Amino acid sequence: MDCGIPTSPSGSRFETFPDDRSGGAAFHVDGVDFAYDGTHPMFRSLALSARPGEFVALLGPSGCGKTTLLNLLSGFLPPDSGRITIDGETVTPEMPALGYVFQSPQLFPWLDVLDNVRFGLRMAGRLPEAEQRDKALAALALVGLDAAAGKFPHQLSGGMQQRVALARALVLEPRLLLMDEPFAALDAITRATLNEELLRLCGRLGQTVLFITHDVEEAVFLADRVVLLDIAPAGIHSELTIDLPRPRRLRETRRLERFTALTDTLLERISAIVAAA
Amino acid sequence: MRTRLYGWAAFPALLLVWSAAAWNLPPYVLPQPWAVAAEAVRWLDSGQLAAHVGASLLREAGGFAVAVLGALALGLAGALSPGFRAFSAPLTGLFMAIPPIAWAPLSMIFFGLGYVAITMVIVVAALFPMAVTVQEGFLAIRNGNLRAARVLGARRWQLIRHVYLPASLPFLTAALRIGFSQAWRALVAAEMLGASQGIGWMVAMGGQIGNATQVLLGVAIIGMTAWITESLVFRRIERRYRHWHLA
Ligand SMILES: Nc1ncnc2c1ncn2[C@@H]1O[C@H](COP(=O)(O)OP(=O)(O)OP(=O)(O)O)[C@@H](O)[C@H]1O
Ligand SMILES: [Mg+2]
Repeated sequence: MDCGIPTSPSGSRFETFPDDRSGGAAFHVDGVDFAYDGTHPMFRSLALSARPGEFVALLGPSGCGKTTLLNLLSGFLPPDSGRITIDGETVTPEMPALGYVFQSPQLFPWLDVLDNVRFGLRMAGRLPEAEQRDKALAALALVGLDAAAGKFPHQLSGGMQQRVALARALVLEPRLLLMDEPFAALDAITRATLNEELLRLCGRLGQTVLFITHDVEEAVFLADRVVLLDIAPAGIHSELTIDLPRPRRLRETRRLERFTALTDTLLERISAIVAAA
Repeated sequence: MRTRLYGWAAFPALLLVWSAAAWNLPPYVLPQPWAVAAEAVRWLDSGQLAAHVGASLLREAGGFAVAVLGALALGLAGALSPGFRAFSAPLTGLFMAIPPIAWAPLSMIFFGLGYVAITMVIVVAALFPMAVTVQEGFLAIRNGNLRAARVLGARRWQLIRHVYLPASLPFLTAALRIGFSQAWRALVAAEMLGASQGIGWMVAMGGQIGNATQVLLGVAIIGMTAWITESLVFRRIERRYRHWHLA
């Protein structure tokens, strides 16, 4: 299992970070117990944290509790015990620091694309409408969809919808972005493009990201650190620091020997988890 | 464009078949369409038609309104409380399985002949299908969009105003359409059993005195009223939301 790759730890050096990651929030999951029905534990004294600006990918076999963890981290599910904080504050879904991109886009079908992206700004009600629109358009431009502002969600492809969902989260400048297999339903090419776009955007805004995926290569390409979840209720199996240089470009990064070594390590560990089950 | 023409041809075709059939039958069995039209003019002139249609619409409106309020309450309660949902599901299933007209005699024993007795039958007919539609609709909203709105910062009242309300429009209009047509069917049936006016009465009375023209006039009015409200009012409103399901 140990292929000479540093296995993570909280104190290792993260030279891959851009200097300015001040836009990110730290999160801490501390001694969290959770069971859906009160009897079959999903997590037992789970601990996981990320530093500001870190990109953490969460890998694990289906049903091991990745989505559950995200729902705990976003405050949708209350833990049975333990504490979950974002920048020291106990988390709630409504807190401004938090952004969540779901597995399906969850756009509001009764609003056009611009108003979908503007939704959060409208709820906050701090900016005049014209400024809300400008910001929303800028966020749409970030994901390359400013031309689609007047369309309705059903007029967009799945990949475009997911990009709108991303813009809708980004426009609020969340300092922690949770993403649950956001690109899983998309074809390989769209997905690769969105991966690059995501890194570019996060590099710019510097937020902390927790990204669930089933795809080992996607995890390695995106993350500073990969966390492997074991079958419940074991919690975290292991972590792996991804010491690939940034900025990462799809074609170049995937050709690096280091990239292959890291993916192989992760694949071995996942096979071990599945074999032990 | 061509397929639309077939749609426009449907009613003239029906009239043609009717008329052709009427050529070969005595008028007291099947009158010609124009005989029915002439009958309509007679009823209109005497003010009778307005009186009967008015009486029916008044009952429909009363029963439908009560059923809408009841269905909103039941549907919302069912959506909010799993306990209530589990409790009400078998009852709703039972009531939907009984043809509403079967309640008409009981309703007439309870309330006597008249407005209330018939209106109650309408309420029973429309309430349960509408309640189920409303409940399922609210349940369908609960997850995805609602969570999305919450992470985007929407608080309780904002959720109601900006998510529940717009998201419920499609199934609320669907529930109205379903309820209205169920109510209308039950109304006509109940009027045939125990009313002294109304379109259902018109049809039943025509049958008793052997006036096929009056029966057909009544049937035509029943059908047209249902068709106009359904396709011109409710379907039209619903069409605006059709694409919502695709997103
Ligand atoms: N609302 C719920 N009530 C009860 N059990 C649940 C609920 N949601 C999920 N579970 C169970 O908890 C376990 C973990 O589910 P979760 O959705 O977190 O898995 P996951 O790791 O995200 O899986 P996948 O990779 O397939 O998305 C599963 O066994 C699932 O059946
Ligand atoms: Mg999941």
